[in-house]
Amino acid sequence: MDNLNPRYARHYSLEGFGKEGQEKLTKAKVLVIGAGGLGCPALQYLAAAGVGTIGIADADTVSITNLQRQVLFGTDDIGKPKAEVAARRLRNLNPGIEIVTYNTVVTNANAWDIIEEYDVVIDCTDNFASRYTINDACVLLDKPLVFAAIYQYEGQVAVFNVADENGNKTSYRHLFPEPPDPMEVADCNEAGVLGVLPGVIGTLQATEAIKLITGIGEVLANRLLTINLLTYDTFVIDIGGQAAIEDKSPADRAAFEAMDYEWLCGSAVANVGTLEAGIFKERVDDEDTLVIDVREAGELPTADFDNVNIPLSDLNNGIPDIRERNIILFCQSGKRSLKAGQLLSEHFGATKNISHLKGGIIALHENSHE
Amino acid sequence: MNINIIAFGQIAEITGKRPAAEATDTAMLKAALLEKFPALGQKKYAIAVNKKVVTGTVQLNENDEVALMPPYSGG
Repeated sequence: MDNLNPRYARHYSLEGFGKEGQEKLTKAKVLVIGAGGLGCPALQYLAAAGVGTIGIADADTVSITNLQRQVLFGTDDIGKPKAEVAARRLRNLNPGIEIVTYNTVVTNANAWDIIEEYDVVIDCTDNFASRYTINDACVLLDKPLVFAAIYQYEGQVAVFNVADENGNKTSYRHLFPEPPDPMEVADCNEAGVLGVLPGVIGTLQATEAIKLITGIGEVLANRLLTINLLTYDTFVIDIGGQAAIEDKSPADRAAFEAMDYEWLCGSAVANVGTLEAGIFKERVDDEDTLVIDVREAGELPTADFDNVNIPLSDLNNGIPDIRERNIILFCQSGKRSLKAGQLLSEHFGATKNISHLKGGIIALHENSHE
Repeated sequence: MNINIIAFGQIAEITGKRPAAEATDTAMLKAALLEKFPALGQKKYAIAVNKKVVTGTVQLNENDEVALMPPYSGG
């Protein structure tokens, strides 16, 4: 029994896995995009299992509201970059593997070069611009993609770009050809999420990646699994059997890199500036500036800076006269303020300087607790 | 004709988990649901008939199971 690492003894003795399965893991390169709720458990199990190279891409820093579910981070890590903290924890968990960090948002400008280096990609992101970017890059580069997404008590898991028994491959766009309007989808910030849910779903992603790499079992190729933690109801649907759908994905690398995913997914609007929480706080007291809360009257928390309340529902019925040249909009999560920005921009054109608070008052509160 | 509808996520928040509607194809079903639940007008969702995703208009038969599945975004 030479060359056997005692760390993996329980894999070696596992029927159907053995030394061969372990060697496949050692040679594998897996990229985890998003080191949040889904990414933390996925990363832990991949590192523990001995995946030879693990890439971690995340541009965020740890905030206190993450700790309820993002189990790689401790209270001392608040304010630190997630990718770096995760890498440190994983190197301690398993010093025998290589960890590569990308302290950046994966966009269509860098996705190709990053994803190209890996055998399997795991999408642990929390927004549609990232999800469509990663999906399209994986289609063009023909990389297996382990997808998951969560909502309150329910999770979805699927494996894309892997041929099923009929030789068919599908992508996220076979399920949802186009991104939803951002106004129609709530994220974890707004809708809340049971802390253990991403733990379960992210662990399923690691399971699918390990099955893909070692060739054991049946992966969820062309199938979408939905699981509800309150009832343990599971629901598996087949994505692969349908006729060709209208293809809205880019045809090649040039088309991919020319696509505006932020715009496509409604997370950016032309002529409406985006203010991060820190910048927002500096700008609210600027001269000739009107700050508008576009939430409905009475929504909490209240703001501790000067503002007027004009709900988005009122703006939909007509835009009031505004004297100030600079208009800054905010709401709870940054969705309604972006929509309001679009309405004001259509009304005022270039006569006003319009911007909104990214992530809303939730982001502002998290920023001040870091 | 009896169709078993199962709604997920934010769709279920609008329609309830098991909405009822009369229809002989998926286009009619969508229209019937929209009339009953106008808030569905702004929602995108995939439709699976008997656990297979369908696109375009597909005929429905007695006791078919139709799942309404919205995209989730959380991570």
